[in-house]
Amino acid sequence: MRGEFPSKILFLRRRKMKTIGIILLTFFCVFYYGLGLTYAQQEVKVGVLIPLSGGLAVIGENLQMAHDFAVKEINEAGGIKSLNGAKIKLIYADTRGDSKIGMSEAERLILREGVVAIVGAFQSSVSYTSTEVAEKYQVPYLVPNSLMDAITERGFKYTFRVERKGSLWAKDQIDFIVDMGKATGKPAKTIGVAYESTDMGQAIAKGIRKWAPEKGLTIGLDEGYPPKTSDMMPVVLKMKRANLDVVILNSYTSDAILLIRTIADQRVNPIAFLGSSSGYSDPSFIKEVGKLAEYFFDLTEWTTDLKHSPLVQQKNAAYKKWNKDNRDFNGGAAFCYASTYILYEALEKAASYDPKKIRDAFATIKITKGPAMMIPWTPIEFDAEGQAKDARMLVVQYRDGQRRSVWPAEIASNKPVWPVPKWEERK
Amino acid sequence: MIGFIEATISGILMGGLYGFIAVSLSLIFGVAKIVNFAHGALFMVAMFLVYWILVLLKVDPYLSSLIAAGFLFFFGYFFQRLFIEPILRREKETAPLTVILLTSGLMMIIENVALLLFGADYRTVKTGYTGKVWEIAGLFIAQPRMIGFVLSFILILLLGLYLRKTNLGRAIRATSQDREAARLMGIDDYRVYKITFGVGGIMLGFAAAFLVPFYFVHPAVGELFVLKSFVIVVLGGLGSITGAFLAGIIVGIIESLGAQFINSALVESLIFIIFIGCLVVKPTGLLGKQRE
Repeated sequence: MRGEFPSKILFLRRRKMKTIGIILLTFFCVFYYGLGLTYAQQEVKVGVLIPLSGGLAVIGENLQMAHDFAVKEINEAGGIKSLNGAKIKLIYADTRGDSKIGMSEAERLILREGVVAIVGAFQSSVSYTSTEVAEKYQVPYLVPNSLMDAITERGFKYTFRVERKGSLWAKDQIDFIVDMGKATGKPAKTIGVAYESTDMGQAIAKGIRKWAPEKGLTIGLDEGYPPKTSDMMPVVLKMKRANLDVVILNSYTSDAILLIRTIADQRVNPIAFLGSSSGYSDPSFIKEVGKLAEYFFDLTEWTTDLKHSPLVQQKNAAYKKWNKDNRDFNGGAAFCYASTYILYEALEKAASYDPKKIRDAFATIKITKGPAMMIPWTPIEFDAEGQAKDARMLVVQYRDGQRRSVWPAEIASNKPVWPVPKWEERK
Repeated sequence: MIGFIEATISGILMGGLYGFIAVSLSLIFGVAKIVNFAHGALFMVAMFLVYWILVLLKVDPYLSSLIAAGFLFFFGYFFQRLFIEPILRREKETAPLTVILLTSGLMMIIENVALLLFGADYRTVKTGYTGKVWEIAGLFIAQPRMIGFVLSFILILLLGLYLRKTNLGRAIRATSQDREAARLMGIDDYRVYKITFGVGGIMLGFAAAFLVPFYFVHPAVGELFVLKSFVIVVLGGLGSITGAFLAGIIVGIIESLGAQFINSALVESLIFIIFIGCLVVKPTGLLGKQRE
């Protein structure tokens, strides 16, 4: 009996509280939704696909730092002005270096995270598949680093690539050889190429076979060696017998180390050696072969001593100060940094959150100033395929263990040594 | 012409080392009938050992080869004792299939542990004779290759003497010919297996030390040699020491001289064509003895 009364009150109270609760909740929802909308106005979500675990994690983290640095600069400078100062927010997705995971992550970024654009994915194989997803959902996809030709050769409307096509690397190598001959009066006549017989090596060799005869060069050696070759001596002896003026090499790190040591042992003395990035740009290559790498030429996309714009030095110094390991930009990171600025310019131009409008902005963009100019060509614009129009490579030469730019002359900071000293004359 | 002489010499020098690596596999494969896929991994362990001794203690590879050989003797001995012997005892046959799985598993474990410990960096060493050559009549012969070849040759002669003249050596040969009969003669076959694995380890330790001065060290370096070693062992004749060394030199010459005429990418298949051809003509290998 005693308990009835209070329990009734309690019941009434409960009902009242429930009603009040519902009203409050409704209010809160409406308010929160409104808040969410206004909040969304101030943020542009961009997805970044890179490998952040697995064998390429070290490379992925390096690229991530470059993206973060660019976004920090952009947001501190007031964000996207045409969007009322909206800030860029990068959402990283780990591809684990796997093209299938790249696809599902691209889908997640677009459908679940609602990104307006994607940047990535370092490896050609991953860029190749994940751009398909972006094309399907009509979200622009900016590719800073992948070189596989086919990425921009499928008639896609939403894919834009900054790096030079892989098949044109050989053309640049031939151009470099011809230019050096003209500049120094010691032209090369016979060239040779030794490469690891995998996708990239074969692509380079194919390019050499195509471009060398056009420039009047004879190919004296065309030697593919199998991956996991245990001894480079046979290749080097053949190279020596071919009496070449320029030796073009394409190797991974282990065979690069073995090749250069065997070449030095056998005193193979052409006018010059020219690498094709990959193993020859790997920091452990120079660490392990040391002095033997001196005077070695290497084709690359970027280097810290370029002088086409003072930005290169300024931004590299700022980056070095900002990141905790005092790291310089490398080619890949510099391209990611610059690509973030290309994206920024496109967003600024589009003045919209609509991926289609952003895509149109990419297609018509023409950048001639700003930090995107870290990249060694002007203007930055994309052709109908989505390929950066004037993309070009440059050549560095190892001097005192440093990669110094020597070609093309207008942006290089050093004079090339051509021909390189004979092995017998080196100390 | 001089180019071809040069290629032949370089083929013999490198082939001698291939043969030397294969000799130790041949012992294990030929005597204990164990398909040791972990051979490359053991080789890598020995290379890292020599590398670290050189880097940390500044001991010359040719000197530390003794340490590497001693270490690998025990490594091989206990490898056999701890992992392979229990299987042999349980399965009661001479070549159980489980051993293949076991050795490949161990290979992965050893390689991945090395990867964890040392990372995927390629490491090279600098010694007084790295990059030094002897110039003889216009031919350049890399010193570490020549030294490695000569030492390998001497060690193989010593191994041959050991197998022929000592009691234990005779026991090894007896077990290799017929395990059951050897057992009936009072030979402890399991002990012979352990010793054989250990002696194989000694050879491998020396081979690793001879390679370090002109090669690189990496957790996966053994993979470059292991398949070739199996080919050489079978080509030379199972369990034949001289056969393995000879077959190694033949493979080296094919590799080096072949590349002067055809593309190196094709030379690998050329080796296998000759290998298969040899086996068709002489199924027991070059110096293998016919068994009933």
